[in-house]
Amino acid sequence: MSNPSKTRTVEEINQKIRKGDAQVLTAEEMKKLVESSGVEVAFKEVDVVTTGTFGAMCSSGAIVNLGHSDPPIKIEHAWMNDVEVCHPGAAVDLFIGATNMSEKQPYEYGGGHVIQDLVAGKEVELRATSYGTDCYPRTALKTIITKEDLNQFYLLNFRNCYQRYNCAVNSSDETIYTYMSKLLPRFRNATFSGAGELNPLMNDPDYETMGMGTRIFLGGGQGYIIGEGTQHSPKNLNGTLMVKGDAKKMSPEFLQGGAFTGYGTSMYVGLGVPIPILNEGLARKTAIQDKDILTDIVDYSVPRRDRPKFGQVSYKELKSGAITVNGKKVRVSSLSSLKMAKKVSQTLKSWIDEGSFFLTSPVERLPTTTVFKPMRQTEEIPFVYSVMHKAVTCTEDEEIQAIAKRIVTKSVNHIVVVDETGRLKGIVTSWDITRAMAEGKKALADIESHNVVTAKPDEPLEIASKRMAQHNISALPVIDIEKKVLGIVTSEDVSELLGR
Amino acid sequence: MARILIRFNEEQVAEPIASQIIIEYKVPMAILSAHINSKGGEILAEVPDDILEKVVNAFRQRGVSVTVPKLIEVDSDKCFSCGSCIALCPVEAISLAKDCSVEFDKEKCLGSTCSVCVDACPARAIKSIKQNNSDSANREKKR
Repeated sequence: MSNPSKTRTVEEINQKIRKGDAQVLTAEEMKKLVESSGVEVAFKEVDVVTTGTFGAMCSSGAIVNLGHSDPPIKIEHAWMNDVEVCHPGAAVDLFIGATNMSEKQPYEYGGGHVIQDLVAGKEVELRATSYGTDCYPRTALKTIITKEDLNQFYLLNFRNCYQRYNCAVNSSDETIYTYMSKLLPRFRNATFSGAGELNPLMNDPDYETMGMGTRIFLGGGQGYIIGEGTQHSPKNLNGTLMVKGDAKKMSPEFLQGGAFTGYGTSMYVGLGVPIPILNEGLARKTAIQDKDILTDIVDYSVPRRDRPKFGQVSYKELKSGAITVNGKKVRVSSLSSLKMAKKVSQTLKSWIDEGSFFLTSPVERLPTTTVFKPMRQTEEIPFVYSVMHKAVTCTEDEEIQAIAKRIVTKSVNHIVVVDETGRLKGIVTSWDITRAMAEGKKALADIESHNVVTAKPDEPLEIASKRMAQHNISALPVIDIEKKVLGIVTSEDVSELLGR
Repeated sequence: MARILIRFNEEQVAEPIASQIIIEYKVPMAILSAHINSKGGEILAEVPDDILEKVVNAFRQRGVSVTVPKLIEVDSDKCFSCGSCIALCPVEAISLAKDCSVEFDKEKCLGSTCSVCVDACPARAIKSIKQNNSDSANREKKR
């Protein structure tokens, strides 16, 4: 407080909110103001900047207390609308996890939908079973509940509001279904998530104003930040929040179940944080723009923890609808809703304007040095490179007779056809040779398969093995990104190692 | 231009009916998508308005079913405008409006002959209208 005109406090802002003369801008408006009038003016004129995001946030859920039945039950297993819910506590406290799927409609309806239905005031069927004790004798239960019947119904999200997220692509030859949605083969589309310049954490990247106890917009109601989210990684701009809020006062518009084909269910959460503009530095930080926020383009077809990357893109490019990957134009679309993110920031602004929402100072700042470590693994799993061996090859100009001879002398069933630089052209099996003999075919071209199912060296062996079963074949040439043949993996190799 | 969905049954599919009509009426028919095998199938085509009636009648006279299809239904209460569908659409029939709402251009949409967006919608707000005889509507759907 060396120079009073250069700072303001949360209490001063709350006084202004009480009097109805606090100046509140959405993050979108703030960027325009700083651009046109500069940081100094923006700091003088603006008390609060409201941020917002609306995206699939899988690590979300709700804790409910049912009250006791008569006779009482100590719930062991429970289902709400056929979605298994978790029973982590005493007798009748349940946790509805957003990603748990309905046993009757998997991939279509899940915990996120149950929460949305409860928030909307709908009736939900509850089933529970137990082993029965002297104090809790009941062993089965079936009833109908609404949110009004619950003692507590709190949203308790342990990782929300990712500061930014990957842009996902698929380099493989097949469509894949991921938590980044449907990815078409050979880079035919890309997806991304996050609100970019509207994201709460992007507007206060040093966690100056937000921490434990910060009051926020959560699911259409008021909630609180209760700490760092799991996997919080602020140093590389991958911060997250842990939040809670009274779900009974939330709105189904801002808490919606989501269904991801082939992956599972999730919950879309609307979350907004008000950033008090306490100093010029915060005015500058809240002016951050999409063009300054970069993220990695990541290949989701590689089923590994560290997936290959194809450079970086800005949220400005992502929101433009097309990006460039490997020199090729790829259409890109969002999984989170920019329209709803804006609505979150606008709603929060209107709450503050009308004096129904006051700011809080955090009782404890969020950590700024947390590191997100990979899992400690005490058992190694086999990869394709662990079992692959040298492939027996031939070129397209060779005679069938010569290839047949090689099959015998090398005692193999598969000959990989390569060009003069060692790149994959096709495959010939001992069965193809037998057929050529039976049908009197002489040319390799008549029997060679060009549609070769392949493996990459760093794929888990289990996935390569599944691919063989799927295509009903017994070997996969292993190739690198330039289609150079590195070796071959056969079903015998797999059964030797995995015992199947 | 008008969009028509032409459906062939098992017997009709062996005949070059579409080619005959194109030649006879000199109609520049744009085929937007087609799914045909020996058991029948369907063609989604675009025909100039001035010759539309003649072409439709010509197909119908040969016993081929022709409809002006309603291809897609979007439940605007369910759609929260994430936009997952946009980049998937092969004919760029889906776009973001100025207010960031997702908009569908039903004139451009290929409907059940495509359906690539349907299973990518996390809100399950898109339904492609399955036409009779069409077995391709859900071909993209995972088991």
